[in-house]
Amino acid sequence: MAALQRHALPFPKRLSAPKAIGRLRSGRLLLAGAVALVVGAALLQVNQFSQLTSTSYQIDQLNQQRAATQAENLQLEADVARLSSLARVDWEARVQLHMVPAERKLYLDVNHAVPERETLPTRFLPPEKPAAAAPAAATTDPLWKRLLKLLPFF
Amino acid sequence: MFGRQSRMNARLTTLALVFAVSGAGLAARVAYIQLVDSGRYAAAARNEHYGQQEVRAPRGAILDRNGYPLATTVDAFDVYINRPDWQDLNAAQKAAAVIAPVIGQKPDILVDEVRKASTGLYFAYGGLDFNKGTSLRDADAPGLRMVQTTKRFYPEGDVASTLLGFVGRDHVGLAGIEADFDRELGGVPGTIYFERDSIGNPIAFGSERIGQKPKPGGNIRLTIDRYVQRLVEGELDSQIEKTGALGGTIIVMEPKTGAVLAMASRPGFKLSELDLNNPNQALFRNRAVTDVYEPGSVFKTVTTAAAVDLGLVTPESTYNDTGVAYIGTSAIHNWDFSVNGTTTVTQILQRSLNTGAVWMSGLLGPDNFYHYVQQFGIGQATGIGLGGEPEGLVRTNQSPYWSPVDLATNSFGQGIAATPLQVITAIASFANGGKLMRPYIVEEMDTPEGPRSFTPVVVRQVVKEETANTLADMMNQVVEGIPGHLAAIKGYHVAGKTGTTTGATLADGAVHDGNVASFIGFAPVNDPKMIMLVKLDFKEDRLGGQVSAPVFADIAPSILAYLGVRPDGPQLVTTGP
Repeated sequence: MAALQRHALPFPKRLSAPKAIGRLRSGRLLLAGAVALVVGAALLQVNQFSQLTSTSYQIDQLNQQRAATQAENLQLEADVARLSSLARVDWEARVQLHMVPAERKLYLDVNHAVPERETLPTRFLPPEKPAAAAPAAATTDPLWKRLLKLLPFF
Repeated sequence: MFGRQSRMNARLTTLALVFAVSGAGLAARVAYIQLVDSGRYAAAARNEHYGQQEVRAPRGAILDRNGYPLATTVDAFDVYINRPDWQDLNAAQKAAAVIAPVIGQKPDILVDEVRKASTGLYFAYGGLDFNKGTSLRDADAPGLRMVQTTKRFYPEGDVASTLLGFVGRDHVGLAGIEADFDRELGGVPGTIYFERDSIGNPIAFGSERIGQKPKPGGNIRLTIDRYVQRLVEGELDSQIEKTGALGGTIIVMEPKTGAVLAMASRPGFKLSELDLNNPNQALFRNRAVTDVYEPGSVFKTVTTAAAVDLGLVTPESTYNDTGVAYIGTSAIHNWDFSVNGTTTVTQILQRSLNTGAVWMSGLLGPDNFYHYVQQFGIGQATGIGLGGEPEGLVRTNQSPYWSPVDLATNSFGQGIAATPLQVITAIASFANGGKLMRPYIVEEMDTPEGPRSFTPVVVRQVVKEETANTLADMMNQVVEGIPGHLAAIKGYHVAGKTGTTTGATLADGAVHDGNVASFIGFAPVNDPKMIMLVKLDFKEDRLGGQVSAPVFADIAPSILAYLGVRPDGPQLVTTGP
């Protein structure tokens, strides 16, 4: 009980009690804020690195997928070429359809246009003729470039 | 005392100077390294930390004239086995059971070979199909290492093998068009830089950058037609088998452009059974371009053309054939020792009389004769652009050791050597109004400098147009003027000439004592669309008219129909709407 009745210790004279408490609190808050800032900055960097690594991994995976798809595409094009080869047509005719070489040849005059070739993979087709010349570059240049070009020394 | 102090000071001063000079030297060196020579050290540091790997550029395709690929590139895998991983026999047997069937080997043998191997990484199989490779990679067998690569794929099988050639394991062209146009087909390899560890292996997820992207090789479109090429090769193989020939060559060309539609030669090699260790390198040659032969009686057309062009003879001009022509003391007989009496120039070609050719060469004289030989391109490379093309051999009256006998024998195609390509190019001028065309085999290609197309080139007007037409008519009489000529075909008018001479080429490239039987013909005579040279090599004596002319007759109708040339007569049974 004596302890309960004992007066509280006086605050130092230089500081009044509420002010001191306020400063202490604000100091702690500042410290906490600074720590949080440092931790936040560190975590942000960790997060950035983590995202970077993750993105790098994803890019790597996507590159692998692209390479695999390209390889598959090449394989499919090669399959198209193999299936349209004369060797295969000959084999199909002889073995599958049991056809034999003609003993007597008859020539028919067919007045129909030859069908366009569309069985070839695009990469084997002759290169297309270059398109018409692109519109003048000046019209697509940004404003500052166009202004610069108006200068006599530019 | 004073002196001692003074010495101490001097020593300290010296020491300070040494330190100062050393410090200055070090500072200068640091400044030099940091400021002047920094690039070299930075590069050395980069080299230390970064590995460099060349990335092979995809090789371009070789296409036929219609764009169908004759050779192209597909992805594949090279299969390696890490030997240390197979030290445990059970593990090795389990892995071999997965790998061996895919690469076409027996598991036990594979295990034995890997365990016996001296290298750490055993090369088990090269160029495994992409689909099989991905399945095998997914199986993840112990010790299995798969390296993605590319390989050449031939959709048309072994067609045009000696023409196309092949590439080595490093994908560099070693023979044929693959070698001749390696720069265009090969592309430009790229470079990848990657971070590496202390023993040089790439660091997983380490930084990687592309130094230079690989530039894919360009496609090359040939004038070769896959249908004609396949037809020609099938017929050549069949005739060689039927007649027991040592080999042969067939060339089909458009006479008006010089575009080569087909070029086949035997003996050769099969792309599907290519053995780079084969010591007989002669098999890899494109003999249609690289090998010379005596054209024989085919050359009588050149002699006749020269004489007609100069107005010395006409098809109806006659001479008295006594069966022998004397040049000094040398006697030259007809091939069949026949005596024909009064004979026309057309009959000289029909009966292929040596004495008639000698008579015309006498009218021409050596200067005129060799001038025309040169005009026809004999003794000169054609400039087709294929490797290994020789000039041929012609001994003119300006050459040392020439004698009048040379003129006489040259007039019927002996003592003179030309490639099959030179011969067909020369004779094609009769089907082209007397214009000699430069033969070409590449229609267009993508070069590093951009796309490039090739157009027909007229080399020169060899003989007058009337002369060429006269020769075409006379050659037509050779085929159609002799009943039962084996080169005659129903529905088309053919011009042609046979040739038989000595010196067949063996498989190893050596020249044999046997003979060469040839036939050259073009059709239709009034508007020639194709010219074909058939040349067969034999150990024993065979005549061009007996063995080579039928080859022409067998395949020419199919080629002409394919080229859209309408036959005359009863073969054309229906006319569409």
